[in-house]
Amino acid sequence: MSSHKILLVEDNVDDVELTMHAFRSHGQGTDVVVAHDGEEALDYIYAQGSYADRKEGVPALLLLDLKLPGISGLDVLRRVRSVPETRRMPVVILTTSDDEGDIITGYDLGANSYIRKPVEFGSFTRVVEQLGLYWLMINTPAPH
Amino acid sequence: MTSHAATLDSPDPDRQNADASILSSVQNRADSMTAADFGAAEGLRGFSPLQKGIGLRLLAYIVLFSTVVTLIATVIQLYVDYRRDVGAIEQRMQEIERTSLDSIAGSLWNVDTGELHLQLEGLQRLPDMQMVELRETGSLDKPLVIRVGLPQDGAVMGRDFPLFHGAGGQRQQIGQLRVEASLSSVYSRLWDTAVFILLSQGVKTFLVSMFTLYLVYRLVTRHLISIAAYLDRYDLHQPAPKLELSRRKPMSTDELDRMVNAFNVMCEGLQGAYGELSHVNKELQDDIRARLRAEEEVRHLNSVLELRVRQRTAELEAANKELGSFTYSVSHDLRAPLRRIEGFGQILADEYAGNLDERGLHYIRRIRAGANDMGEMIDSFLKLSRSTRGELAVETVNLSSLAADTVEQLREKDPERQVSVEIQSDVTVQGDRRLLRVVLENLLDNAWKYSRKADKPMIAFGATQDAGGTVFFVRDNGVGFDMANVNRLFTPFNRLHKAEEFEGSGIGLATVQRILARHGGRVWATAAPGRGATFHFTCWEGKSADEQS
Repeated sequence: MSSHKILLVEDNVDDVELTMHAFRSHGQGTDVVVAHDGEEALDYIYAQGSYADRKEGVPALLLLDLKLPGISGLDVLRRVRSVPETRRMPVVILTTSDDEGDIITGYDLGANSYIRKPVEFGSFTRVVEQLGLYWLMINTPAPH
Repeated sequence: MTSHAATLDSPDPDRQNADASILSSVQNRADSMTAADFGAAEGLRGFSPLQKGIGLRLLAYIVLFSTVVTLIATVIQLYVDYRRDVGAIEQRMQEIERTSLDSIAGSLWNVDTGELHLQLEGLQRLPDMQMVELRETGSLDKPLVIRVGLPQDGAVMGRDFPLFHGAGGQRQQIGQLRVEASLSSVYSRLWDTAVFILLSQGVKTFLVSMFTLYLVYRLVTRHLISIAAYLDRYDLHQPAPKLELSRRKPMSTDELDRMVNAFNVMCEGLQGAYGELSHVNKELQDDIRARLRAEEEVRHLNSVLELRVRQRTAELEAANKELGSFTYSVSHDLRAPLRRIEGFGQILADEYAGNLDERGLHYIRRIRAGANDMGEMIDSFLKLSRSTRGELAVETVNLSSLAADTVEQLREKDPERQVSVEIQSDVTVQGDRRLLRVVLENLLDNAWKYSRKADKPMIAFGATQDAGGTVFFVRDNGVGFDMANVNRLFTPFNRLHKAEEFEGSGIGLATVQRILARHGGRVWATAAPGRGATFHFTCWEGKSADEQS
C-alpha cells in the first residue's frame, strides 16, 4: 500500500525551504515529507527507527539529493533498489551537481530521472511543478 | 666432408667404416705430427740419415735405381765376356784345324799311336779343352780310337774334324778328330765376374748413398729442420729474431736463402698483420667497453627516467584527482549557495514587492542577475575543466551535421534573427563527438552572437586543404576584432568585447583551444574590426587520424 507522499531528501534547510516554496507556490497541496540525511530517509521509507510507528506504505516519489551527510544519496538509492518492496518506487535525483559520473552511476543504480536544479528560481519552480505533476498525476506507478 | 655428428648415428656400416678410417687417418696424422715434432726436436741434437723421412726415401730410391743400373750393366758385361770367351774357344778350334790336323792325319796314316797320344794330349792341354778323341774311319774291323780326357755331360762345345791323307785326286778321309771344349770354366769366370761386379757396385752404391744422404742432410735437411723448429717456436706475441741458417754463406744465394728470405718477409708481414689486428682488436675492445658504458648509462638514465615518469604520473594522477574533486565541489558547493541567493531573491521580489520601492526591486534584480551570471560562469568553467579530462572516445564525426544541429538550436533560441548559414556537406574528422560538439557550439555561438549587428548576417562552416592537412573554419561577417588582441582571445576569462555589448563568460574559446589541443590540433583566428572573423582549426596535425584511433 503506497502513500501519496513525496519524500524529499535534502540536508540543507535553505534548499528545503526553497523546494517547499516551489511546491507550495503551485498550490497542488502536495504532501511532502523531508528527511535531512540518508539514514532518516531509509528510516522513513521502511518505517523504522524514529518512524517505526508510521502507518502508510512507501512514498509515491523519492526526491533524492546526492550530497548528504553520512549515507550518500547514491547509497540510499542502492539500498532502495535492493529491497523488493521499494525496487519499483520512482526515484528522482534532484541535485546541484551535473557531474557525469554521478549521472551515470545514478542511472546505473536505477534512478528514474536525474534533474539538475537550475540556478534561476523561476526555472526551478517550473521544474518542481512538472515533477509533481508528472510523477503523481501522469505517471502510472507499479502495482503493489 | 661428412660431419661426425651425422655419421656417428648412421646405420650404414660402410659409412661407419669410412668414418672409422677417417678417424684413424686423423689419428695417424696427429701421431705423425707429434712424431714429426719429436723428430724435429731430436734433429736439433743429432740427426741420423736413416731416420724416417726424406733420408730414408732418398736412400731407397738411390739403392733401387743403382741396383737396376748395376744389374743391367752387369748383364751387358757378362754377355760381352761370354761372347769373348766363346770366341777364344772358337779361335782355338780353328787354330787346331789349321795347324794340327795334317800332322795328326800323318801320324794316323803311319799308325803311330805313341805320336798320336802325344799330339792329342798336346791339344787337350790347350785352355778349356775337355776331351780330344780320334777315330779311324774306313772299312776296318777294329778302327783305332784314341781318347784323351773325359767326355762331360754339362755344357760343352764340340767340333768334328775329318782327317785326310793324300793330295789332289787321291785324297781320302782316314779318320775323324773330335774336340770338345768345356764351357764350365767360362761360366765360372762369368759367375766370378758377376759376383765381383755386384759386390763392388753394391758397396759403391751404399757409399754413394750415404754420402748423398750426408750431403742432403748437410745442405738441405738440417736447415729444413732448423726452419721447422724456428717455426714451431715462432710466437706472434714475442717475435723471435730473424730466421738465419747456421752455415757458411754460399757464393750466390740459393733456394734455401730464397726460402729463408721468403719466410722472413712472411713473418714480418704476419707480425705487421698481427700488430694491425691487435690494434684493431684493442680499438674494438675499447669501442665495446665504451658501448657497454654507454648502455649502462642509458640503462641508468632510463631507470631514472622511469622513476621520474612514475613520479610525474603519480603527481599528475594526484593533481587530476584533486582537480576532479575540485570540479565536483564547484559543481555542487559553489552553485548551491548561488541557487539560494537567486531563489530567495526571487521570492522576495515576488512576494514582498509591495514592501519595496522601485530602487529596492532594482537591487533585487541586480542580485539575481549577478547570481545567474555566476551560475553561467561556473557552468562554463566546469565545461572547460571537463574538456581536458577523461579519455577521448575517438570515432568518425560528421562535423557538418553537428554544425547543422547547433545552428538549428541557435535558430530555435533566437527565432526572430535572420542569418544566412552555409555549411559544407560531409566534413568529417576523427575525434570525440561530445568535445567536438562543444567546439562547434562555441564557435557557431560566437559567430551567431557577434554577427548580430551586421546588415545581412552570414555564417559559414567548411574545410580547406593545405600542406599540413585539413583546416576547418567557421566564418562570420560580424563585428570582428582587432588582430592586435588576438593573443588574448584564447585566454580564459578574457573578453574582447564589453559584457553589456555581447554577453559571455570568456571561457568558450579557451575551452575550444583545449579540446583541439587534445585532438592534436590548434585553433587560430583572422579578423578585422567591423569585417567579421574567421576561426580556423585543425585536428591531428602532422599525423594521420588512424594513428590516433
